Amino acid sequence: MSKVIEVKDLCKTYVVNKKQNNVLKNVNFSIDEGEMVAVMGPSGSGKSTLLYTVSGMDKMTAGEVDFNGKDLSKLSENEMSDVRLNEMGFIFQQMYMMKNLTILDNIILPAVKSKKTTESRKETEKRGRSLMHKLGIEETADNDINEVSGGQLQRACICRSMINNPKVIFADEPTGALNRTSSEEVMNELVDLNKEGTTVMLVTHDVKVAAKCTRVIYIVDGGIQGEYDFQTRYTPEELRLRERNLNNWLMEMGW
Amino acid sequence: MFSRILKNDLKRKKTMNIILLLFVILSVTFASSSINIMISVYGGIDYFLEKANMSDYVVITRSSDGVNPADDYIEAAESVTESRKEDVLFYSSTNLTKDGKTFAEFENPGVILPICDTQINYFDKDNEIITDVERGHIYVGGVLTSKEEVHIGDTITLELGDKKLDLIIDGFIKDALLGSPFMDNPRMLMNDEDAEILFSDEEIISKNSGAIYYLCTDDMKELKKEIADIPNAMFSNDIKVLRLTFMLDMLVAGLLLVVSICLIIIAFTMLSFTIKFTLGEDFREIGVMKAVGLKSASIRGLYMIKYLCISTVGAVIGYICSIPFQDLLLKSVSDKIVIGNDDNIVMGILTAFIVVLITLSFCYSCTKSIKKLSPIDAVRNGETGERYSRKSVMKLSKSRLGSNTFLAVNDVVSKPKQYLSMIITFTVCMLLISMLANATNTLMSEKLLFLFGTTKSDVYYSATDRIMMIMGSDEENAYREEINDIEKVLADNGMPGTVHVELLYAIPVEFGDTKIKVQMEHCPDTNTTDYTYSEGVAPLYENEVAFTPQVLEELGAEIGDTVILEINGEKKECIITASVISMNQLGRCGRLHESVPVSPNNAAAGFAFQIDFDDDPSSEVIEERIEKLKTILDSNKVYDVEEYVDTCTSSSTTITTAKNMVLIISLIIAALITVLMERSFISKEASEIALMKAIGFKSRSICAQHSLRFLFVVFISGILAAVLNIPFTTLICDRIFAVMGAISGISYSIKPLEVLLIYPLIICIVVVITAYLTSLYAKSIKTQDMGNIE
Repeated sequence: MSKVIEVKDLCKTYVVNKKQNNVLKNVNFSIDEGEMVAVMGPSGSGKSTLLYTVSGMDKMTAGEVDFNGKDLSKLSENEMSDVRLNEMGFIFQQMYMMKNLTILDNIILPAVKSKKTTESRKETEKRGRSLMHKLGIEETADNDINEVSGGQLQRACICRSMINNPKVIFADEPTGALNRTSSEEVMNELVDLNKEGTTVMLVTHDVKVAAKCTRVIYIVDGGIQGEYDFQTRYTPEELRLRERNLNNWLMEMGW
Repeated sequence: MFSRILKNDLKRKKTMNIILLLFVILSVTFASSSINIMISVYGGIDYFLEKANMSDYVVITRSSDGVNPADDYIEAAESVTESRKEDVLFYSSTNLTKDGKTFAEFENPGVILPICDTQINYFDKDNEIITDVERGHIYVGGVLTSKEEVHIGDTITLELGDKKLDLIIDGFIKDALLGSPFMDNPRMLMNDEDAEILFSDEEIISKNSGAIYYLCTDDMKELKKEIADIPNAMFSNDIKVLRLTFMLDMLVAGLLLVVSICLIIIAFTMLSFTIKFTLGEDFREIGVMKAVGLKSASIRGLYMIKYLCISTVGAVIGYICSIPFQDLLLKSVSDKIVIGNDDNIVMGILTAFIVVLITLSFCYSCTKSIKKLSPIDAVRNGETGERYSRKSVMKLSKSRLGSNTFLAVNDVVSKPKQYLSMIITFTVCMLLISMLANATNTLMSEKLLFLFGTTKSDVYYSATDRIMMIMGSDEENAYREEINDIEKVLADNGMPGTVHVELLYAIPVEFGDTKIKVQMEHCPDTNTTDYTYSEGVAPLYENEVAFTPQVLEELGAEIGDTVILEINGEKKECIITASVISMNQLGRCGRLHESVPVSPNNAAAGFAFQIDFDDDPSSEVIEERIEKLKTILDSNKVYDVEEYVDTCTSSSTTITTAKNMVLIISLIIAALITVLMERSFISKEASEIALMKAIGFKSRSICAQHSLRFLFVVFISGILAAVLNIPFTTLICDRIFAVMGAISGISYSIKPLEVLLIYPLIICIVVVITAYLTSLYAKSIKTQDMGNIE
């Protein structure tokens, strides 16, 4: 399988009150197309920073991120916008949406903005509705964002991240703000997406979530301490076993 | 603890607090200067006349062979309680040269006055009383202040009789008597020793001397009677007439009053919006404070203190800014009058204090809702969740608009309250400019022709020399000969037509125990029915007459009364049949029936010769003929109807200047409001901007979307301004024209292209460019800021 993300010597430093804080230190890893990678680690270890830096949402201090053949550090702001619009999808822990748009409009907004396809507005709407149908939130299409539940909103965010058929979906604790049922529903959607071929990189604290991925990267103090490869894709029957194995590995890592 | 929260709040929400501070400064500046301007304008010309120490009545006489008979009349007048006299010398434009050439063209005689003999106060450009003039220097006033060729520092030569003086112009005079556009006599304030050279010359005294009498009285009616027979009186009028001569200055001052009122509306609209907007930002914190147990009163107190601090600082800065702003506006009103008020400082401070109170009351009313909200409602930005109207008015999925345009338009229609203050501001700016444009266009259109007691003709030929020939002639046929002469010129040059001219006759009119001289309009070649009357029926017979409302008031007569007119030395009873509309002689005139046997040789004044071509030519042909006539008649004073009205009103230039000033002020206000609003929006919408960037929107798309919102707002304002254009123009301009003497019946000349397109477009361009430049700040918001968003 070809590599869709390749990270080399990635460093990220923040300067706060003239003090340097090296959040990421020479991080190296790669993600193959079709993989579903979870980034885990204790609070303050640099998980979210890693996700944002790899996705180009935040600027790296040093190093290289090759995304689908493009060196993100060399892209201009406009080129980066194009990559984000057409090749990446984002899911945030807080379900950020445009306040003045309906759920459906929020979902199709990136598609309307994108010049990737020449489809009509009607076709875009149809595609948006079909995604909503797939994620079971079709009935909320014309609702305002504060008229739906957190789970529905997060699924709407997934729909939005998928609308331009991205190569990779980045998710920062996508289930962090959800209850167990909603959390499971959202994770199942992400797993299904991954099965259909979309690469997923997510940050999580939850072993149950990470157990549904194909690989786990464990990060401590801004450096990768270890990687756990499940070898196989997740099936509901194997969940318990995967969770147990992952837990054991995490214990070894000092979790 | 509270002071720490306050300190942190002021520091942390720097942008919004600065924006609020700027709006308070702007509001205080506008409100304080506007209120002072309003008081100044309301006091208007009376303030100037009072400062100048003007008397109740003024007589200007010309001596005959150095003898001034007016002294005896004034000494004998028992009704005079105080009299002051300025001995003056008269000069004409031919007496003034610069480098051997005529210095400036003017028709009214100039007046030379030594500085030691001034009986009223004369002001310089800084409104300081002129008390001293250096030897070899002069101050000039009247028409010379508005002549482009006259500059401070110019050396001019004054030649009277055998005496020749080289004089340097030190400055311009604001002259309460001769400085008005209707008088415009160029007064010259001279050093005493220089003046003595001229005053000691007997020949000069014999030919050029005269006097100006400033008379005070408690019985004006009696005074007028007692001095009615003063011979050689060039000007003999009371302070009411003097006030009218400055009406053009008051016209612009009146416009400034309108601008001031609009500025106050804008200031408070913006202030109200900003307070609501900034407080909305604080709801989350208010919720948290409520959640940890702070009482509503304490939270409210905290915000009241914060707003008190900001508004007090803003009020002080705003008051300081208002002083130069108000001076700038007042100075632009007129360089001929002193306008102001003595309570500047008190009013300014009072206004600043009121703005602070209003700010606090807005804050108080905005925080009122905090009491009703539960902590969690407050955390949800003041929304209780019970909302019955949809946030999103439009649907992207159903729209054909591009994403940027859609987001911009949807934002405006979804949050109309947020944009209301801007819509009001831009609409007011557009209305102000379009109103002034309509006024200017009307002043230069034939629609005002009726105000000058004249009829519509193809061409107007102003020839003072020909009129003087008629008036000074002993020949009975002088009038007809002049008319025939012009008609012959027309016929010889292939443009046959008929010619007539309106003449004015100074006729004594008696009604009861009142006797005054009235300038009566008369033309033997037109019918009285051709003119406009505000009341009654046009005089149809020789013994019928019409007067303006001003004359009727002075006489104490009404339509239907009988007055006695002294025509050709004979007393004749005439019935007043109508009230005629005319701005001639500041509205102090009347109209005689065409069959009244007045002799043109006795006319006191005349207007332009009116030419009506026989072949009823098109306006293009008329223009061509005007150019041809200018050459044939060797005069530039050949006008079409619009140009003639313009020369009659002589105010279009003043109004155009006022319009340009208002345009500049409006553009500055629009730009300023745009900067502050856009900066507020960026600050409030930082999370959405970051989100848009995160999903792939480029910075330029966001800037375009923000600029489009302003474009849409200006578009709405443009539509509102277009709808309100005529009612607003009528509301304001009717009053302006009423000041000028046109009581009613003005039909405005509205140029749709200019009013509905060009000016809104100028505002639109300024607003959109300003919005775009300000929106570039959105570039500083990065996608990584998503993590910092609450």
